[in-house]
Amino acid sequence: MAQAFVLDLGRCIGCEACALACKTGNELPTGVSYIELIEQVRGSFPDLEGGFDNHRCLHCQDAACVAVCPTGALYKEDGLTRLNTPACSGCEYCVTSCPYDVPRMVDGASTKCDGCKATTDAGGGPWCVSTCPSKALEYGERSEMLRTARTRAEALRAHYPNAQVYGETQAGGLGVILVLPDDPEVLGLPRDPDPPTVANVWQGVVQPVSIGLIGATAVAAGVAGVIARRNHMAELRDIEEAEQLVGDGDSSEEA
Amino acid sequence: MSLVDLEISRRTFFTAGAATMAAAGLLPRAAHAATDGTPWYRQGAIETTFGVCDMCPWRCGIVVSSVNGEVRKIDGNPADPKSRGMLCARGQGGVSFMNDPDRLQAPMMRSGKRGEGSFEEVSWEQALDFIADKLLEIKERSGPEALAIFGHTSGEYWFTDHFSQAWGTPNAAKPSSSLCLSPREEAAQLTLGMGVGGHEPVDWDGLRCLTLIGSHIGEDTRNTVMQDFADMWGDGGKVIVVDPRFSSVATKADHWLPIKPGTDTALLLAWLNVLVTEELYDADYVRGWTTGFDRLAAHVADKSPAWAASITDLSEGQIIETARVMAERKPQSVIMPGRHVTWYGNDTQRLRATYLVNALLGAYGRRGGMYFNKAPYLEEYPHPPYAVAGSAGGCSAGAAETSDELPLGPSGKARADGARETFLRGATALQELIDPMITGDPYRIEGLIVYGTNLLNSVPNKPRTREALAALDLVVAIDVLPQEHVAWADVVLPESTYLERYDTLWSVSHKTPYIAMREPAVAPMYQTRPAWWMARELGLRVGLDAYFGWETIEEYLDRELRSVGSSLDEMRANDGIIIQNGKPYLEDYDGASPFHTPSEKIELFSQQLADAGFDPIPEYESTPEPPRGFYRLLYGRHPVHTFAKTQNTPALNERYPTNEVWINAQAAASEGIRDGQEVWLENQDGARSGPIAVKATERIRSDAVFMPHGFGQNAPGLTRAHGKGASDTELQTDYALDPISGGAGMRINFVKIVTEV
Ligand code: SF4
Ligand code: SF4
Ligand code: SF4
Repeated sequence: MAQAFVLDLGRCIGCEACALACKTGNELPTGVSYIELIEQVRGSFPDLEGGFDNHRCLHCQDAACVAVCPTGALYKEDGLTRLNTPACSGCEYCVTSCPYDVPRMVDGASTKCDGCKATTDAGGGPWCVSTCPSKALEYGERSEMLRTARTRAEALRAHYPNAQVYGETQAGGLGVILVLPDDPEVLGLPRDPDPPTVANVWQGVVQPVSIGLIGATAVAAGVAGVIARRNHMAELRDIEEAEQLVGDGDSSEEA
Repeated sequence: MSLVDLEISRRTFFTAGAATMAAAGLLPRAAHAATDGTPWYRQGAIETTFGVCDMCPWRCGIVVSSVNGEVRKIDGNPADPKSRGMLCARGQGGVSFMNDPDRLQAPMMRSGKRGEGSFEEVSWEQALDFIADKLLEIKERSGPEALAIFGHTSGEYWFTDHFSQAWGTPNAAKPSSSLCLSPREEAAQLTLGMGVGGHEPVDWDGLRCLTLIGSHIGEDTRNTVMQDFADMWGDGGKVIVVDPRFSSVATKADHWLPIKPGTDTALLLAWLNVLVTEELYDADYVRGWTTGFDRLAAHVADKSPAWAASITDLSEGQIIETARVMAERKPQSVIMPGRHVTWYGNDTQRLRATYLVNALLGAYGRRGGMYFNKAPYLEEYPHPPYAVAGSAGGCSAGAAETSDELPLGPSGKARADGARETFLRGATALQELIDPMITGDPYRIEGLIVYGTNLLNSVPNKPRTREALAALDLVVAIDVLPQEHVAWADVVLPESTYLERYDTLWSVSHKTPYIAMREPAVAPMYQTRPAWWMARELGLRVGLDAYFGWETIEEYLDRELRSVGSSLDEMRANDGIIIQNGKPYLEDYDGASPFHTPSEKIELFSQQLADAGFDPIPEYESTPEPPRGFYRLLYGRHPVHTFAKTQNTPALNERYPTNEVWINAQAAASEGIRDGQEVWLENQDGARSGPIAVKATERIRSDAVFMPHGFGQNAPGLTRAHGKGASDTELQTDYALDPISGGAGMRINFVKIVTEV
């Protein structure tokens, strides 16, 4: 059953409790954080508006990071984007492909929220959700969360007439459904994130090759390392150009 | 997430966590976990204990999870009326606070000069015997009143309340009074005949309009207040924020009033004017429950919105509109009393004006307005009468002293803080006890016990505090961390953190009065000891045995709990909380008055103040403007930090290691200062602090700068916090004494920006 979060950016007051709960519940070491609170205030004194961006993995259904990950360290499960860190080769493809600028490299490995896989497997709830004093976060079955998000957007219109739900369809539907106080563009979010064209191609062509390679050799880590050291950006650009030449540039897959 | 869900998930969680999972090998390793990747909750059985958070003075109930004798996670106790299962960032950082390698580990005695910070470790026996001898010498020579005791954080009761009164000194003080709440409490006593109490009694459930004046919900991250605010706001409640800065909570406001600092009373008087002239007040309530309305009406007749607009830098329209928004939602409309209200030295009058608005809105004792809180019933462990009645006040203070006579100590001396002479009433003013240490006027304070009070990062006029520390005959510092002032101590006693000790029961005045318990999750680390143990050991050495008659702390707690028909075991079995019934609303008093003023009404006109020579109805008094080239220094909080206490806590330090100074973007540009540039701040007296990074922002007026408090600490033992950022306390060389409450107004300091060392 697909699970999802609701993140109500109308309610979020930037208190950072979620970030600390994630840090302590998951015992993340120094330098690793899955949530950043970023001030987002617009206008000039005294005509100001805005609040905080609670920047974290949005768990896209069509996750670009999963598509480009050559080792399968990033994978989808229950609608969420998991990360099996020991399998990460450090290639950084996820970092450059994520439309929301989420994964970070720490000590040569990708880090990002994995939806509290270990904790939820043990029967607990995600740490960030259970501590949020503003009740800006919820977690549950995705269709239920979608309903909740709509109700919350409705309530938010008392303060923000333009309040809306984001993530119903973006990137195949987000696993973190955002309740926004305003239009996504105003908050620096793509209304429609670039369809993961490149990522699709990468997945369709390159990834099976790399997985094949890994399967075919006893020194899988070494090969992954070779792949990692390539100038993948140039490579991706080449592939994209080739795509456009054959006139199949738009392969958006909105569910 | 609802409480029910939380409770269920919590329980399931423990069961699942305690079980060994054969499938664990199939799971990907937790990213960068400190161990081999096995999450802590699968490393052994989870043992849970109940506690009370001490990362700030709000005191949320917690559930502490330990595995194999180590504390691994702290969560909110779902049964606790404050935490309701949630915690703020600082509360989540408690494990990191406990495991801070910079902690004080053993008792120490000074081996060099005061302030140098050279110490040698000694045994507890040596340390306590030395202190006891010194205390008895002081008592012999000059009487017990010559000892001052300052206390903050949750063990303060043992020193500032219990030991001090048993010993016989009226000079016990808490920064949470005169450096924070005194004006708020005294204004409430004078106006309503009751204190505000630790938990501001806003009846959030049903509240329809909230007005905040300089309250920073979301930056000041008191957990329950954030929860209640979010619910009220989420239900469509109106929010009016008065602040020179577009604070976190101002981003949620329906009306943000960027007021000129120091002019709030003018705004309040104009709001009263609109309520009166437009007849928007609750006439029945005013008739039934207040006195002095006619005089108030006459007093505010000329305090028009136009008059206030010219003073406050707000528009007449804004003032009128917000008064109407408030009034339309009465009585479910309140101005929150706020915390840390010692701003300009006329703060008691400002708070009185705040309460007068609430009174005209008919808010006190009304559903959705301000409820009446009540202390839970609990009997103290029996002890002989105290040698002197204390008046240290603080967050958890009950009713302040009201009689005209100040209590005298055993050798006939009253408080040395100038009460009744330089200020009228209220809790002992901590900052006013510093001068007597230096001057001997009215008598010399010779010894000082500092329990958990960050003396050099909270009391204004640091040079004076240092001078006093040098002049004392005995300085004892009891703390968890080697804070700045600890270097000035003769004896340092290392305290166990709140996760390693029992403590007094928390009796919390509340809508639903309740009692919470704290028990140790693990044994004390290093050679640290709990406050109760230290106070008792000292007490036994100085002849106060009768005040510490219990054998074990468990016996002490059980005896107190027996008075409410409970016990430690029973509390443990019942989620660590005992909840009693309150009397929150007017109707709960059957026509009797809950207002304990002389008139038994809300005193809009205060005869008590008139008799003492003060304005019986608040007047607006201007405060000096910043000189040319200077900005008013405002200060506040960052959400992950408490006072000057948590800056060194690894997990919290990582998120916010140093502070920054907010300067209006245009003002910065005209000074040629870039965003992110490192600068120094220099105040009107030439005191300097820094370097500190500039945050050039639209979010603040151009006549003030703002910085989060608690940084710029000069404490080499705090390896992460030492020397990071700038200290507002360093720049507060001046303060304005509130002549009514003894509060120290600190927003009268000005700074200029200096770009070179
Ligand atoms: S805990 Fe909640 S309110 Fe606080 S920053 Fe996180 S999401 Fe926002
Ligand atoms: S879901 Fe878990 S891993 Fe993800 S941000 Fe929340 S606490 Fe961290
Ligand atoms: S508000 Fe935060 S720091 Fe304060 S007691 Fe509650 S959880 Fe602890």
